[in-house]
Amino acid sequence: MTGLYLRWSALVIAAVVIAALASRYFEQNLTSLTPEEIVSLQPTRVVRVIGLVKGGTLRGDLDSGHASFELAGRQEALPVEYDGPPPENLRELKTLVVIGSLDPSSGTFLAHELALVTNYGYVVGAYLIGLLPLAIFLFGMERKVTFLYREIKESKLYEPETAHHVDTR
Amino acid sequence: MISALIKWMQRYEGWVGAGGGLCILAGLYLGLVASPPDYYQGEVVRIMYVHVPLVQTGMLAYSTLFIGSLWYLWKRDPIVDNLCHAAAGISAFFTALGLITGSIWAKPTWNTWWTWDARLVSFAVMFLILVGYLMLRTFVDDPEREARYAAVLAIVGFVDLPIVHFSVEWWRTLHQPLSFSMRGVSMSKPMLIPLGIMTVGFSLTFFYMLMVRTQMLYLDHLLTAKKGRLLSQAHLSSDVGSSPSSLSTP
Repeated sequence: MTGLYLRWSALVIAAVVIAALASRYFEQNLTSLTPEEIVSLQPTRVVRVIGLVKGGTLRGDLDSGHASFELAGRQEALPVEYDGPPPENLRELKTLVVIGSLDPSSGTFLAHELALVTNYGYVVGAYLIGLLPLAIFLFGMERKVTFLYREIKESKLYEPETAHHVDTR
Repeated sequence: MISALIKWMQRYEGWVGAGGGLCILAGLYLGLVASPPDYYQGEVVRIMYVHVPLVQTGMLAYSTLFIGSLWYLWKRDPIVDNLCHAAAGISAFFTALGLITGSIWAKPTWNTWWTWDARLVSFAVMFLILVGYLMLRTFVDDPEREARYAAVLAIVGFVDLPIVHFSVEWWRTLHQPLSFSMRGVSMSKPMLIPLGIMTVGFSLTFFYMLMVRTQMLYLDHLLTAKKGRLLSQAHLSSDVGSSPSSLSTP
């Protein structure tokens, strides 16, 4: 029985390490800022900004991968200059993630990549629902088999204690 | 025959289980951290690395149930029946998880949790067949008849598997077409590798679960039989040398 618990403890530790790595990866690479945060923080590194492509602001030649538009948050709108692969998902009134850096002199966000908005809750939910019940189901089965082997080995249940009990009475 | 199969399972189950666990852990790392997001779906595509292996393992488990049922009808070996019973339970489990994770994936990509699509419906029918199989096993009292009826149901129900597999080819569906077919593989390598590793991991985990669950059912039946035999012996001895009142004592 100790072996069973040790094995499962190792597995749980490995799963937690992978979950922590995945969480750190998402935190570092996939956390998006809002246009308001860009204006107030003025970040100098490459960041992801989430917002809505404001209606009537999209201009440029999308087929050649050059476009300019305003990315609206709740209160602020950030001017964006996009220069990258021809964007298929770029259109007005669509919520998008733009990846690039802020030009502090002009206050324009220079984007080189666009990404779709992802609700990570779906990914986390699918993995939890897919793997947790599986682990619990498997652990329950292993535990029961261990108990059954032990019970069979010891096998004291229903041994002729009834007859012995009868004799003593 | 019986003890040989159980001994074989005891000998190899650790290796199979360890292989499955390691593949799943490696697949999780590659799928969640190392693989790129999809151009159209973005990060949601990572659900594929858990959903597709769950579905494929559910179908692998049903195929095992089908082969085991044919084997049982041919040999009438009770441990093969235990193996079929175990495969059905595991298949139902994987199928249910496949349906739920598929539904979670459908919401951000199709904007609906469920649609009456040929692939989804045929897969849900497979789940219902498995539930019916498991229910049938609780309705029949005679173990031999129970095993026979269940084997026939599993064999008849197997007709749904090709329908599940080819539904995306035969009908116009929302579900994406086959990624692996005679036309080739329609998936990029950085996505194919984690998917392949996860599929191997889930398949090995299924075989491990099959070994453990078969032993569980076998030991359960053995223990019940042993209890019954010892109880009969106890009753016999109490009948021979004691008062009738002691018979009610367990």
